[in-house]
Amino acid sequence: MTSESDMNRRAYLATVGAAGVTGVAGCLGGNGDGDGTGNGNGNESGNGDGDGTEVIVPGTASGFPPFEYTENGELVGFDIELAEEVITRAGYEVGDWVDIEFESLTPSLLNEELDLVAAAMTINEERAQQIAFTDPYYEANQAVLVPSGGDFQPEAESDLEGRVVGAQSSTTGEDEVDRLIEEGVVDEGDYRQYDNYTLAVQDLENGNVDAIVIDIPVANNFSDSRDVEVAFTIETGEEYGLGMRQDDDRIQDVNDALAEVQEDGTYEELVSKYFDQSDE
Amino acid sequence: MDPVPLQSADWQFIFDNAEYLLFGTVVTILLTLSSLTLGFLAGFPAGAIEVYGSGWLRDLVSTVGVLLRGTPIVVLIFLFHFGLPIPRLWTVEVLDQELFQLGVFVSATLALGLRSGAYQAQVFRGAIQSIGEGQMEAARSVGLSKLQAIRHIVFPQAIRRSVPGFQNEFTIVLKDTSVAFAIGLAELLTRAENLYLQPGRDTAAVEVILAISAIYFVLTFATNRALDHLEDVYAVPGGTE
Repeated sequence: MTSESDMNRRAYLATVGAAGVTGVAGCLGGNGDGDGTGNGNGNESGNGDGDGTEVIVPGTASGFPPFEYTENGELVGFDIELAEEVITRAGYEVGDWVDIEFESLTPSLLNEELDLVAAAMTINEERAQQIAFTDPYYEANQAVLVPSGGDFQPEAESDLEGRVVGAQSSTTGEDEVDRLIEEGVVDEGDYRQYDNYTLAVQDLENGNVDAIVIDIPVANNFSDSRDVEVAFTIETGEEYGLGMRQDDDRIQDVNDALAEVQEDGTYEELVSKYFDQSDE
Repeated sequence: MDPVPLQSADWQFIFDNAEYLLFGTVVTILLTLSSLTLGFLAGFPAGAIEVYGSGWLRDLVSTVGVLLRGTPIVVLIFLFHFGLPIPRLWTVEVLDQELFQLGVFVSATLALGLRSGAYQAQVFRGAIQSIGEGQMEAARSVGLSKLQAIRHIVFPQAIRRSVPGFQNEFTIVLKDTSVAFAIGLAELLTRAENLYLQPGRDTAAVEVILAISAIYFVLTFATNRALDHLEDVYAVPGGTE
């Protein structure tokens, strides 16, 4: 057999890969339903050049307008501009953006493929066990979207009883639906999960779901472009933060820059650029 | 609700972004080719070892095969990307457009390729086992060694009988390349989603999905036809088994 040693090497790799399962699985448990073991893998890389670099590689999960999306092949959005501004003001160079699935952001951050997560990521305890968050930069209150001018006009959470409700997986919207399920308002079988909110809105227009729970600015975007409207809002008290590794001491510079951006009006400019759409 | 109207403006939007989708198609094709090649290089010997191998080597190959076949592809792609120290290497660009990070591409190829290898091994194992025992005995009796017999008698027939199974495998790998976005490789499906996820472009979701379905169909159809043709050209003349 000519390829015997080859096979062995492959088999070895596969075995090593399998050995990594538990470690990676630990990272992957970072969202969803609160079974996070929080072993965190103690990702201390001892390569020693961590302090010398002046580059911060930002990462995001595009497809969440107006926070991050792709236009003409370019990554744009509120988070994108904010992160670039903050990194630059903190005195670092902005590396090449890593655009990846939302669920992959935390493992990639711990893996040092990127240094800073700017992806409308809500600060919560579960994530904070694995990564460090900057000061909050946005309030993640939720809106309940329903078809425009329909018969169903809910005014409070209790009106959602017995209705089919949708949200995008791994989002605060999903967490809110989970809470409604726990409180017995929504039946577990009546929850519809989507890969992205565009598909959820499509389904809402088609009448396959009665309502979807979604971040307010994103909801406003959809109510401008689609036949849907915000019925009422849910104050979650949750906030977005930029994510960094827990052992990355550059977070202080980033926080200082974030405060500066919020104080000198740059932040307001970005808000009006991306969120203030006149009601047409 | 009335069905979603297919609006000409949305089709125009797709044509305007044809180049962007084309680059995604290129990534999809490259990833399919690299994965199938790795799958063949790993799967063919593995299939032979499962038939002719002995003892620990055969056990090892079949165990690894079972592991690879039994693990969901998304989990595999995560494992190879986050579990192995694959450096990011450099960015591959075409006409000033970023196609992909080579390191990410390597991870995706390893995951898709090795899993495909595990499936292809079974295709080849079945093909090899379908060649009658008598042929092996006949080959040995005219003085060929076991390796020679495999090389000259079994292999040429088995490879022909593997074509239908390989066609299947090609189609599966092509469509599974879309999971590579989990590690940030922007192939056709990812780029399509990027298009309709732009603000104000969400009306184009159905049209974009139809457009890329057509692209996937053309790729699958053309390749399967080519493999059909290959099968005809290299078919063993004569008998109608």
